[in-house]
Amino acid sequence: MITLSHYLIVSGLLFALGLAGVVARRNIIIIYMCLEMMLSAANLTLVAFSRFHVLAGLPDYSAQALVFFTITVAAAEVAVGLAIIVALYRSKQSVEVESVTKLQG
Amino acid sequence: MSPLEIVILLPLLAALAIWLGAPARATSVGAAVINLLIVLGLVFGFQAASAGKAGFAFESARIVLDNPAITFGVGADGVALILTLLTSLVTLAAVWQIGDDKPGIYHISSLLIAAGALGAFLSTDVFFLYAFHELALIPTFLMIGLYGHGEPEHRKAVAWKTTIYLGAGSLVLLAGLMWLVLEFSGGGKLTFDLQALRAQAALTPLPVEKQAQIFFVLLLGFGTLVSLFPLHSWAAPAYATAPTPVAMLHSGVLKKFGLYGLLRIALPLLPQGAQVAWVQETLLFMLLGNILVIGLVTINQKRLDDVLANSSVMHMGYIFLGLAAGTEIALRGAVLLMFAHGVSIALLFALAGRMRNQLGTLELNKLGGLGEHAPAFTVLFAFGAFASIGLPGLANFAGEVMVFVGSFMNYGSASFGALQWAVVVSLWGVVMSAVYMLRACRNIFHGSAMTGLFMRDPALSQRLPLIMLAAVLLIVGCCPWLLLNLLKSDLAAVVAP
Amino acid sequence: MTPPAQETSASLPTLLLLLPFLTALSILIGHKLLKGASVVLSIASAALCFVISLMLLDARDSAPILLPFIEIGKFRIALDALIDQQSRGMMFIVTSIGLLVHLFSLGYMKDDEGKVRFFGSLSLFMFSMTGIVLAGNLFMMFIFWELVGLSSYLLIGHWFEKPSAAEACKKAFLTNRIGDFGFMIGILMLFMANHGDVSFIGLKSGFAEGPLHEMTQTHTTFMMLAALGIFMGAVGKSAQFPLHVWLPDAMEGPTPVSALIHAATMVAAGVFMLVRCSFVIEASPDAATIIAWIGGLTALMAALMATQQNDIKRVLAYSTLSQLGYMVMAVGLLAIQVSVSHHEAGPGHPAMFHLYTHAFFKAMLFLGSGAIIYACHHEQNIWKMGGLMKHMPVTFATFAIGTASLMGVPFITSGFWSKESILGVGFEACRPLFWVGVFTAMLTAFYMTRMFVITFLGKPRTENAHHAVEAPIIMVLPLVVLAALTVLSTFESFNRLLAAMIPNHAEGHPTVMIASIAALIIGSGAGFFLYKGKDSDPLNIKLFANKFYFDEIYAVIVKVLQDQLAWVVTGLERMFVDGIVARLPAFIAVRLGSAARVLTGGHLQAYTFLLGAGVLMVIYLVVFVLPQLGH
Repeated sequence: MITLSHYLIVSGLLFALGLAGVVARRNIIIIYMCLEMMLSAANLTLVAFSRFHVLAGLPDYSAQALVFFTITVAAAEVAVGLAIIVALYRSKQSVEVESVTKLQG
Repeated sequence: MSPLEIVILLPLLAALAIWLGAPARATSVGAAVINLLIVLGLVFGFQAASAGKAGFAFESARIVLDNPAITFGVGADGVALILTLLTSLVTLAAVWQIGDDKPGIYHISSLLIAAGALGAFLSTDVFFLYAFHELALIPTFLMIGLYGHGEPEHRKAVAWKTTIYLGAGSLVLLAGLMWLVLEFSGGGKLTFDLQALRAQAALTPLPVEKQAQIFFVLLLGFGTLVSLFPLHSWAAPAYATAPTPVAMLHSGVLKKFGLYGLLRIALPLLPQGAQVAWVQETLLFMLLGNILVIGLVTINQKRLDDVLANSSVMHMGYIFLGLAAGTEIALRGAVLLMFAHGVSIALLFALAGRMRNQLGTLELNKLGGLGEHAPAFTVLFAFGAFASIGLPGLANFAGEVMVFVGSFMNYGSASFGALQWAVVVSLWGVVMSAVYMLRACRNIFHGSAMTGLFMRDPALSQRLPLIMLAAVLLIVGCCPWLLLNLLKSDLAAVVAP
Repeated sequence: MTPPAQETSASLPTLLLLLPFLTALSILIGHKLLKGASVVLSIASAALCFVISLMLLDARDSAPILLPFIEIGKFRIALDALIDQQSRGMMFIVTSIGLLVHLFSLGYMKDDEGKVRFFGSLSLFMFSMTGIVLAGNLFMMFIFWELVGLSSYLLIGHWFEKPSAAEACKKAFLTNRIGDFGFMIGILMLFMANHGDVSFIGLKSGFAEGPLHEMTQTHTTFMMLAALGIFMGAVGKSAQFPLHVWLPDAMEGPTPVSALIHAATMVAAGVFMLVRCSFVIEASPDAATIIAWIGGLTALMAALMATQQNDIKRVLAYSTLSQLGYMVMAVGLLAIQVSVSHHEAGPGHPAMFHLYTHAFFKAMLFLGSGAIIYACHHEQNIWKMGGLMKHMPVTFATFAIGTASLMGVPFITSGFWSKESILGVGFEACRPLFWVGVFTAMLTAFYMTRMFVITFLGKPRTENAHHAVEAPIIMVLPLVVLAALTVLSTFESFNRLLAAMIPNHAEGHPTVMIASIAALIIGSGAGFFLYKGKDSDPLNIKLFANKFYFDEIYAVIVKVLQDQLAWVVTGLERMFVDGIVARLPAFIAVRLGSAARVLTGGHLQAYTFLLGAGVLMVIYLVVFVLPQLGH
């Protein structure tokens, strides 16, 4: 049987992978993609809870509705974020995250 | 307006004046002379002013804050007056011997250190006692870092080490003082006034174990300021590197602040705390470390300023021995020894500074034969050297003998306790100090002159402050009752024999 | 009994004490103004002191307080005097020999540049020595004890440009300091035991009926250590083994200094003090035995060393060491005798008596050697002298008198009587030491004859000796006066006049007299026959000539136990104390600081990581920890 735990473990692993990528990778675009991975892990968790939390014989659709919100927000965020990355590239000529050190000091 | 406030303010005003452009040497020497005269007047008038009054003479108090009760209070008893006299003498000698080629900041910093020391000794408020001492630390840091001897890297490192070390000690001290204030502020609000704290301590003494703990914290704090072993490693490099007036004032005067604090604050408020077994044994162990370990270290030194700096640390052990003994005679001896040590080490540092200026080096194996052409200088150095090794007839002996005798006051017993064994061992320090001082004399003044190293006697105007210090050593050494009569019942209240 | 004379008020002793001090102070401050007058001032004060001591000879015993020093409640250290037979006799010796040495120095130091400094130091010495003699309590004695050490430092190091003199004066002061270390411990122990009273009168009554009386039976170790502590002061000052090494080197000082300090007065101070404290030593027979043996050992060892010395002053120096050993031995022996027989010792004391006779003839011998050195143009090696009998008749005669007295020629010399009394006590109290004393007497005769024969008899060996003439009158006069005193002190009536402490004559042990006369004949005979007419030493015993290698051994001890230990301790202190208290916290602070610098580096990923870790921690706390605490 595939239970809720299996889905949660998978999404947990996905989240951890995403987090590891954000912390450890050097390329900003890859970091961004890992960020998206974290978001999709959250989505997966929501869908799993929706599927296994049964209300009167049917899955709880409020969680699935939340997923749509999340996807929309993610899309908007991608648009803004990529714009920032392009602007950063224009000023720094590099997609290394190490070159962004304005927070130093 | 109490004369004591004038005594404290005068150096501050003089420093301000010099900063604003007054002629440096005239202002500072003038202020120091006036200060010394006022203090001498106070000393002579002390018996009259304090007749029939328990507590302090020449008192005055200005309220600064109400809750907590902080007042700028000044008052003198015998101990404070003796140390004030010491400060005025050493300040005068220190500013007088500053050469004309040195910038005005030498004078300013010397006066600030003097003001800090005077304020600390004359305060009757714990807050201002602490604050004035901190005031005196700042010019020390600046002078060592900017104008010290040796490579810039070295003197900066020494300045940092000294300041941070002393700062850490001051923090521990502050903790101890605040603990005391919290314990002994009767009446609902915190008070920093020493008289009030004492009265409260007499009414509601603490349990003995707690007294021991607070006393130990204060010992660590004050001990760092006095270079008690093992908290002493800031002292030797600091004095060797510091410019001469700063070395004279710091080792002669400022170091005594810690001992004064123990006498003034710790012992009266925590009388049984000092006599608890573990505190006594730890203190004895530490002061023997001062005498034996630092004594051996001094013997190993190859430069005169290192010898003098380490010997200064070593002699603190004897004063702590007086404090550990706790009897009236030993405590009076400790006060006298404070005075004597301050004068003698100031004299020696002044002479060493002059030597460094004229000869460029203080390495013992490079000097020699200076006695031939500089007889007055040799005699003055002999006064300082023999005083510091405890020759009778000079001031240090009177203090030392009282400390030793005061530790042997369990009459009728025929066995040695820890205190007596400590005295026996620390007497060997007398032999060690003779070894390194006489070696220094032998290498510097005796023997044949080294080529290229030639020194003349100082001119009479330069000789006067040194003669003054040497004369004080001789007079107090032959007539110690002159100073001892000032201490009436100040120290009687502390531990019974 | 002498009829009681005028009351001794405190003024005479105070004047006696302060006069040389004021002289020395004036010379220190005003020598530029006074110049040559300083010398006159110094001699005048010495003469005045001599006159006062003569006046005091007549006075009654008293114990006035002279000057205050420290007084707190009931505790007091004061400068008070104890004027009794012992101090009066000693004072006469000190002031008379002092005055004669002042006069001798007027001639000897005529051309010296540091003449004024010399006389100032002499005055300082007279002040210190007077203080020791007058002292009525142990603290006062200690104060002046150290001041005598200072005066000796200044005088031995008078020609401080010479490295050997500089080393010698330092050695003297340091060796004395080691003795003072023990002395102070002994004083403190007695202070504690006797309820804070260390005046001689107070201590004596304490031992007789006070708190110390019982302690003698119950705490024998304490009493022995206190007595030995006090004895250490004498070991340093009177140059007993093992602190004897400074006395021969002290000959670096000018000869008048050797005569005054190292023959007659300063070194005798140790014996004086021991006799003053005889009740302390009598209280502990163990200590008395140790003291007697150390004295005997010193006497023997010094005599052996003297047989091979070639410097005229060194021979006399070792001879002084040897005689001091006799005196210390006598102190111990008499104490053993008293504690064994349990009755009061008589008014005399063999050690003080020998001190008294020895002071005169030794000072004269030293001054005589000074005259010889002066005449031979500052030559001190006896093998470069010879035939001086014809050239310097007065010096020869006085030297002969002194030598005879030192060897103890029977019945006609003062030295014989004093040595007899010591050997007599030894015979009764401790036989082995008696034989040591006799053997040493033989050696004394041997080396003195050797020196006398080489220096005065035969032919001059060098040009300087050939051209030697008698010394100027200012130098010869003190010699003659001292010779007269030496001769006069053979007579008992003269000695009583000068308050010498003549011991009761022993009940005529014929063995003692026979042994000492035999020793004299054998020793002087051997010396005479071995050295007459020789130009170099037939005997060559390196061990004696090199002073049993004590100086070398001590140099190694100092190097290892002091200098190398100091080096090791300095390193350890730097590594451990400074390291743990100062550098370790600094190191930790620097490391922590470097670690914390990550926070300010502007590394976005580090921030992210910390954010994630923080969130995890919060979740952990909220979910797992807080429910357990009840929230």
